[in-house]
Amino acid sequence: MSQWHPQPDQLVEFAAGTCHTGMSVAISVHLHYCPQCRAALSELESTSAVLFEQQAAVPVKDSAFDQLMQRIQQEPATKPEPTPVLSNRFPKALATLLPASLDELDWRQPMKNLRVSHLMTDESGMIIGLHHMKAGGRVPNHYHRGEEISVVLEGGFSDQLGSYGAGDFIMRTPSDTHSPRADAHEDCLMLSVVAAPVKLTGALGWLLNPFLKP
Amino acid sequence: MSAANVISILSSKKARTMTQTSQTADEWADLLEAVARRQDTKAFEALFKHFAPLIKAFALSSGLHSQGDHLPEELVQDVMLAIWRKSASYDRRKAAPSTWIFTIARNQRIDMLRRLNKYRADVSADAIWDLESDTELFGEIRQSRIQDKVKAGLYELPVDQRQVMAKVFLEDKSHQEVADEMKLPLGTVKSRVRLAMKKMKLSLEALDL
Repeated sequence: MSQWHPQPDQLVEFAAGTCHTGMSVAISVHLHYCPQCRAALSELESTSAVLFEQQAAVPVKDSAFDQLMQRIQQEPATKPEPTPVLSNRFPKALATLLPASLDELDWRQPMKNLRVSHLMTDESGMIIGLHHMKAGGRVPNHYHRGEEISVVLEGGFSDQLGSYGAGDFIMRTPSDTHSPRADAHEDCLMLSVVAAPVKLTGALGWLLNPFLKP
Repeated sequence: MSAANVISILSSKKARTMTQTSQTADEWADLLEAVARRQDTKAFEALFKHFAPLIKAFALSSGLHSQGDHLPEELVQDVMLAIWRKSASYDRRKAAPSTWIFTIARNQRIDMLRRLNKYRADVSADAIWDLESDTELFGEIRQSRIQDKVKAGLYELPVDQRQVMAKVFLEDKSHQEVADEMKLPLGTVKSRVRLAMKKMKLSLEALDL
């Protein structure tokens, strides 16, 4: 079971559907690994449902039901979305963003131990991507201009603040600096959601600005 | 519709009576199953009569009409159509009917807002808020118990907490947007939600690691 979780108010926004896509994908991936947060989400959705049912009802147009039945008869049923190839390996929210193989992604290797791939930029400018750290590899000390969320998918890593395994939801604010190191025995694959390109603090920092255009 | 309307309904005596006399969760689940098994239009009409006006209220509370007068009715159509088509995946052992319907309404609203904002979504709301992912049996019993606690607890909450709850949970506003609108510090909005959840004896605070 996962040890690091989203904050309760982040789960509240997820339940209400008000957080940006990057955050939603990160929380959705975490939920896949975390029964505890799934139970909390179910509570929040049940709470929403009660508030929903207790709203003052607003009458719909008289013709609304007939119109709907017509639509049901005429509109062909939408085909179910195709199951993403990698959905056996990754949670659905992430798998839908991935091609059939991770090798097909445009990987950049700003440094020996780290490869990064950009998947999409959401409506708020958050960049959703994958980070891959070589087993035992250390990433130089860096801080972030905006918030950074990482969710471990495979393997694990540690930094000054703790050690993390599959499903862990790690949030870093602009004031945090850290230098993560992947576990020795296994490569570490992470979902990464960042507000802005990372800025390095060390002398070799310029080598490792994975999301800055070269 | 504003949160104030929601609140006045929540506190009115009439609302309590309505809740008591309204159909039970079991009856809604029966109707959903009738739609799934027999494409029963009578059962579907009964669901429509109850839920369509609530979906419209939900659309209005999130200000959909400000982007187009027809949109609240359109959301009603989209949500009810999705209920018709997804009814086979409804499992009464896993979800309370109103929770299931709320999640469909939320997902359809998210997709509609994205279309309106011309935001090309690489990932649909159903892929993120995956309706079929929670395979836990007896989730329905837990959800019904939670719903009972919430129904009982809401009336006991101070007005300021109830108001924030309605805004945060239904009106498509982040904590920050609610804070801006109510001219309150962000921390106050968050703590009112947490306090409300705690008062209703929900265990969300157990997650506060």
